[in-house]
Amino acid sequence: MHTVLTRGNATVAYSLSVLAGLTFCCFISTVFLDYRTDANIKTVRVLVKNVPDYGASRQKHDLGYVTFDLETNLTNIFNWNVKQLFLYLTAEYETATNQLNQVVLWDKIILRGDNAVLDFKNMNTKYYFWDDGNGLKDNKNVTLSLSWNIIPNAGLLPSVRSTGKHIFKFPSEYASSI
Amino acid sequence: MLDIQTHMDFVGQAKAERWSRIIITLFGVIGLIYGAVVQQFSQTVYVLGVGFLISSLITIPPWPIYRRNPLKWQKPVNIEQKQVTSDSSDEGKKKKK
Repeated sequence: MHTVLTRGNATVAYSLSVLAGLTFCCFISTVFLDYRTDANIKTVRVLVKNVPDYGASRQKHDLGYVTFDLETNLTNIFNWNVKQLFLYLTAEYETATNQLNQVVLWDKIILRGDNAVLDFKNMNTKYYFWDDGNGLKDNKNVTLSLSWNIIPNAGLLPSVRSTGKHIFKFPSEYASSI
Repeated sequence: MLDIQTHMDFVGQAKAERWSRIIITLFGVIGLIYGAVVQQFSQTVYVLGVGFLISSLITIPPWPIYRRNPLKWQKPVNIEQKQVTSDSSDEGKKKKK
């Protein structure tokens, strides 16, 4: 500690060590929190068409067309260790060819400080609802659920499913036009 | 570079090190509590930054309080006596070879 440089070095190194300790405290203060909350999801229009899947093998696959309502309040999920939430709406169902299908239909990023009270009506999906085959027509049990991915300042990035979900059916006939 | 004396005596160095750590730790704890209250980790980091600046200001420049216990050097020995003793020690080395 006998030159300016050694004193400066010691001060900077100690500050960085203290910063690492504070970051760990920030992580510990939020690692056991329960980030689940409720969400209200409803479907408004549900159609299914059978069209050639241009991305895959040109065979005709089922294409679902869904508009939905989404209402939820996510303000209590934000704390000093949550920088943003990545929300995504998933449709889960079973078909004759596949035991579990999960398709992401819509997503949204909510930054800390943005309005986290969501009330969407008649939302179109962002992504196409292709099925791997023809399992959507007359499918009686399709579950829509909202999940979110937590992006923290320090620590784990959990993926949390909301407690609310919505089960709907596809019609038993293909629609001729949307 | 400017020819400024930047030394501190040993007691001063101990004081400076202890004070720098106390100040930074104190501001770290204050920052953590304040950040938890307003729920913004950025505020914690800013408070720690302020603590770092205050600690640098207090402990890095060689203030007079760090020079209160200067080392007591012995008085310089007479030059003639020194030459005599160095010659005799050289002779001793030659004999051993």
